[in-house]
Amino acid sequence: MKTGFELDFVARTLRITGVVLLISLPFGIYYFGIWPALAFFSGGIWGMVNLIFLSSLIRTAIRPGGADTTRAVGFAVIKFPLLYLAGYALLKVPRFEPLHLLAGFSVLFLVMLLKATARALLGLDETGEHNSNPGQV
Amino acid sequence: MDYQSMLSWALPIGVGVAAFGSALGIGRAVGSAMEAMGRQPEAAGKIQTAMIVGAAFIEALTLYALLVFIMLQGKIGG
Repeated sequence: MKTGFELDFVARTLRITGVVLLISLPFGIYYFGIWPALAFFSGGIWGMVNLIFLSSLIRTAIRPGGADTTRAVGFAVIKFPLLYLAGYALLKVPRFEPLHLLAGFSVLFLVMLLKATARALLGLDETGEHNSNPGQV
Repeated sequence: MDYQSMLSWALPIGVGVAAFGSALGIGRAVGSAMEAMGRQPEAAGKIQTAMIVGAAFIEALTLYALLVFIMLQGKIGG
């Protein structure tokens, strides 16, 4: 039986986060204004890209067959200096509030938490069917 | 000691503690994941996913600390 922590858990989390961000963008623009909504959206996108590179880095560097050094170094170089510089650049955009960026960045973790909680509480396995062992996430 | 002096001490110490805690957390996570994969290579996928999620949460906490530092940095007067 498949459980919620199979390999595509991260991919599904990213997909749902993207959908949540896309849906919240027009509502954010309408209710809070363009800059807070854009900051929220940018924070979320930054978090998603960060998770993509983190998971790629871990999958290439830490695996049973030994690390794929070239790819791992490539991902590390993109993730640590470039992505963090991009985050710093986002923070320095004059109209972006750090709090809005932070809220957008947190959407990803909220999705992860809700997915894990739902699976634990409802006892759903990956296919949406009921799990015989609800405590297993 | 006034508010600004306390803040100028607390902010770098706070970020340092957060970075130290995250480094310990990620180090332990990677170490345990390697050990687990060595014992059960067939479960590598699940272990990697759990590790990615854990590492993401740990990294997020450090980023929160850094952002709080940046947000409060402006309150330290010259």
